[in-house]
Amino acid sequence: MAQRGERGAQARILAWLRNLGDALGRPVLAVALAIIAGAIVILITWPDKALDPFSNIFSAYGALLTGSFGTPISISNTLVRVSPLIFATLSVAIAFRAGLFNIGAAGQMAVGAMAADIVGLTYIHWPGWLLVPAMVIASIVAGALWGGIVGFLKAWRGAHEVVTTIMLNWIAFWGTDYLIDGPPFTAPLGVNQTNPLPPQATIPLVADVWNKTLGSFLPKLDTFSYTVDVSILVALLCIVIYWFITSRTTFGYEVRVIGQNPKAAKYAGIPIKRNILFVMLIAGAFAGLGGALRLMGQFSYQLTATAASTDPTGFDAIAASLLGRTSPLGILFSSLLFGGLRSGSTNMQVVAHVDPNLVLILEGLIIYFMAADFIPVFRRLLPPWLRPRRRPALVVPPDAPIASAVNGDADEEVQYSAIAERQKEI
Amino acid sequence: MFFQVLFQGLTSSNTWQVTLEFAALLLLPALGGVISERSGVVNIAMEGMMLTGAFASVMVTLAANNFGLSSAICVLFGLLAAIVAGGLMALLHAYFSIQFKTDQIVSGVAINIIALGLTSYLLFEIVPVGVPSLPDRLRLPVPPLGPLANIPFLGTVLFQQNVIFYITLLLLFGVQFLLFRTNIGLRIRAVGEHPQAADTAGVNVRLLRYLCVVSSGLLSGLGGAYLALGVAGLFNPNMTNGRGFIALAAVIFGKYTPLGAAGACLIFGLGIALSYALQGLGSTANVINLLNTLPYIFTLVALVGLVGRTTPPAADGIPYDPASD
Repeated sequence: MAQRGERGAQARILAWLRNLGDALGRPVLAVALAIIAGAIVILITWPDKALDPFSNIFSAYGALLTGSFGTPISISNTLVRVSPLIFATLSVAIAFRAGLFNIGAAGQMAVGAMAADIVGLTYIHWPGWLLVPAMVIASIVAGALWGGIVGFLKAWRGAHEVVTTIMLNWIAFWGTDYLIDGPPFTAPLGVNQTNPLPPQATIPLVADVWNKTLGSFLPKLDTFSYTVDVSILVALLCIVIYWFITSRTTFGYEVRVIGQNPKAAKYAGIPIKRNILFVMLIAGAFAGLGGALRLMGQFSYQLTATAASTDPTGFDAIAASLLGRTSPLGILFSSLLFGGLRSGSTNMQVVAHVDPNLVLILEGLIIYFMAADFIPVFRRLLPPWLRPRRRPALVVPPDAPIASAVNGDADEEVQYSAIAERQKEI
Repeated sequence: MFFQVLFQGLTSSNTWQVTLEFAALLLLPALGGVISERSGVVNIAMEGMMLTGAFASVMVTLAANNFGLSSAICVLFGLLAAIVAGGLMALLHAYFSIQFKTDQIVSGVAINIIALGLTSYLLFEIVPVGVPSLPDRLRLPVPPLGPLANIPFLGTVLFQQNVIFYITLLLLFGVQFLLFRTNIGLRIRAVGEHPQAADTAGVNVRLLRYLCVVSSGLLSGLGGAYLALGVAGLFNPNMTNGRGFIALAAVIFGKYTPLGAAGACLIFGLGIALSYALQGLGSTANVINLLNTLPYIFTLVALVGLVGRTTPPAADGIPYDPASD
């Protein structure tokens, strides 16, 4: 009897382990492989000649870690990077759920930030309680519009979302540069920046809020060191909203069906076109809001020309959303990872003389390792009890067609890339 | 004022020279894109391949120069390095999307990111301060065409171009001929439209796709060399700055044909050249930023079907699986 119970418990633990392995195996493996590949890059280039190449690897990764999560201040700096990244990742992830590959988060952020900036600089005399919500709403509307164009073109005209998002990104980059560089918003000295937002149009730092509330009887925080603003809290709230939309609403369910099996969705009478439009509206809204809050939360409160096109957040968001496999917790942790890599990379450069662009290499590799079918190779290497179970074939086999044509024929059936199916499978 | 400058710009031979220069610059990766997409592999990584090519060309040219080789040999090595580097990036794309059946768009995004990261990283490791720039003797030459170059308007526009321009022209007609007038072109198009049928007819689908994707990398790498060794004479991090994406736009706008892509590149090139001409406008020079959006707006309009719809090859983006029906 006792033995049986033990065996039951053992089976349960093993099952639990397997589930955990299923969920975490691939992301952990992808990150590990990328770190190893990055180490090889450091080993070959050997940037810090004062150390031997192997110590250089450890000094680089050590600096990366301490620079991102080593001290409270570095954690705060990391959160500054994480907050817009969460918004962008949510934008990419919710589109993934519908099988759409939204690489337009960068453009949607740029448009959102610009809209907020226009409102903030135009209605400069409005009080904060009116101005801040107006800016936030403007950014949400602008971002949603930018994403909505993609959804509309996809659903009604069959234009492939990857192509349209690339085009809209560059239209957004150059278009916002036009607005930033010219009157009436540009700063007087011709520095390719807009005027700073009026003080009442900004959102407070977390440290400020702390000092005014709990700080009155607890130790106060130094607002010069802890520069993370309250947008991180909004970001966390948005993750909850994302969770609610995707797992607790009919819309979320329908979107998932569309992403995993468009044909089934069609036969089930799910309004595919409308849902695709909505999902891209929401995606754009997330990104637009993120862009605006970054503008409103961080010092100088200005937009700089060409900053949008060189901002890596859009790239990071794709990687983070693939790595987090579009689950709310996954998004949170992978955003923390990539935000940490970004903010730690400057320390890595100072301490170990490794160029921060190493992070981009790691990111690209992680995307590859998440998307490519390495798992069968590694599965064979694992001991049998650790091998992930094969899931029942509700989803397509790994070698089924993945991306649809670049732009399908709208009059026929709307074509969907099966990335979400892929997501499920991996 | 605005229209005066615009008119001046349109009538100046310089504008048209720049137009053709940029058209050729965009056309090289665009031709690569046409070949790749025709064979059924989506390629949004021309940007990354161009960037890698540009980087390799400058670095190898400078390295060869340090060895004391003669200028012409240095440039030749640089050119070869660019082509090889672009080809290697394309091989990565081909390997993952054909062998591993990775999503081709994901792979393209990853290549763009890796190319940006790798070139910026290596640039910093090799040249910690400043940007590597090339003296004139290490740049791609403008071939002396003698009396032709002295023809009043056409001479400047057509016959004072960089040597790569003429190569691009040859490649354009070469690729058009290859795709639509030869046996192998028919096979490439068949593989892109219906790989199963092509396979049944004895065409090696995977091999052909490999070749097409790699040649798209070779062409994009050459485009990068043209940019770095010819037009700019230096290497900057992220110096392609979206040109690979304009090339992608040209592929789509040109309806996946070499000549169509060339027409699109001409339009986009004219936009860029005009934006230079309009820089003389001073305070309204900002209009350049707006002009820069035009290629993308054109492409969106073309995608939406207002000026005749573009249709990609039927099997574009779908990995070939002999087992599927």
